[in-house]
Amino acid sequence: MSNQINFHPDRSMLVEFSAGTLETALTICVSAHLHFCDQCRSELLSLDQLGSQLMSDAKPSDIDESLLDTVMAKIDEAELAQVNSKGSARVPVNEKPSSFPFSVNKLIESTEHSATWSRLNSSLDIARLKTGQDKFEVALHRLCAGGKAPKHDHQGIEYTVVLKGSLSDERSVYSEGDFLVRQPGDIHQPMGGQNSECICLSALSAPIKLTSPLGFLMKPWLQIRPM
Amino acid sequence: MLRKIIDTVDKPSQSTAKVAVLNTAEKRSDEWSLLLIAVGETRDRQAFAKLFKHFAPLLKSFSEASRHQGWYPGLSEDLVQEVMIKVWQKAAGYNAEKASATTWIYTVARNCRIDMLRRKSNTQHLPLENEDYWHEPDEETPVTLLRQKRNGDKIQESLAKLPKEQDEILRKVYLEGKSHAEASQELGLPLGTVKSRVRLALQKMQILVSPEFQEELPHE
Ligand SMILES: [Zn+2]
Repeated sequence: MSNQINFHPDRSMLVEFSAGTLETALTICVSAHLHFCDQCRSELLSLDQLGSQLMSDAKPSDIDESLLDTVMAKIDEAELAQVNSKGSARVPVNEKPSSFPFSVNKLIESTEHSATWSRLNSSLDIARLKTGQDKFEVALHRLCAGGKAPKHDHQGIEYTVVLKGSLSDERSVYSEGDFLVRQPGDIHQPMGGQNSECICLSALSAPIKLTSPLGFLMKPWLQIRPM
Repeated sequence: MLRKIIDTVDKPSQSTAKVAVLNTAEKRSDEWSLLLIAVGETRDRQAFAKLFKHFAPLLKSFSEASRHQGWYPGLSEDLVQEVMIKVWQKAAGYNAEKASATTWIYTVARNCRIDMLRRKSNTQHLPLENEDYWHEPDEETPVTLLRQKRNGDKIQESLAKLPKEQDEILRKVYLEGKSHAEASQELGLPLGTVKSRVRLALQKMQILVSPEFQEELPHE
């Protein structure tokens, strides 16, 4: 992807991603960022090389002589089963290059009855995604061109990756691939870019509190509901 | 045997895209990558047996090092089996331009380990397998084979020279599978110290190439 990305997940997050110890919800966010970011992908490759070097340096453990036969037998069994059910064997087709990250598309598809938008206010829609963990609410947010999200502050931490279009807040402008972190206590009011709608992926760890006068109307919608 | 594989790979009659790539100046010539290519292209069982002999003991050791919550020793052999079966099944998709066989197999093992732990500890249905998060966009990789090779050599060389406390932390993170927070608890060190030790180690190995990166830091 060719656009300039200005905000990246911090390096220790990328290390945990490479080591496989990052929480599921954050793994989803980092994975979405990597889809857009060549630089982070290239550092991830080096980190994976480091992991493989550490694995190779370790003292090898004894393996039972018969294990190779066991494995070959399982491989044969699986291939036979595949041949027998040929009609239903589905070849994973790599859909036409889509501008969304693979992992996000898969989450959208696999959320029950497929993910659906619900309206938060005249310019903001949300679609919650099923991710099989309960620490964060993972969702897509869609902000129409020039639309304003309700002003809110956070009791929990919020990670956001811009998937499409751009948005801005009091601090900066964020475009495709940018990775944002909002800490508890931060108050902000994101605004969609003027020219097109903006879609973001976000992971939110605790209820956010609305600060605008009519905010209470939104409240029921903004309780986090991990799924 | 290796000779035979190299011959097969070099034979012009086998001119698939991957072979053509290997004939360019930037050859990936390490033994394991050639064997993995042979498994992917011709389902070569002897090549697979050689990979197994080399990697299964490493995978078992990797798995035994795991100190994840919910991990127990019996899972180690299961992991070896599951990873090697995946290696066979996915070998056709191995792209020698993107990673060495060792790195590729490490990522398969890491993803399997996470999936096994999730399956054990989670009662909810998980929509994605871990490897889905590592799905790469289909485009030319910006990292050349040559640079990867240099990186790999540099990492190997400088890893051996790291101060003990940096080496210890990398092993905790990658082999035992501890998050930075868990490592800080265990070592009785502040989280910031753990993070900076990791960062120092990565800088020494020249893995961090973009120190000027803007990160979204806590806003004070
Ligand atoms: Zn990045």
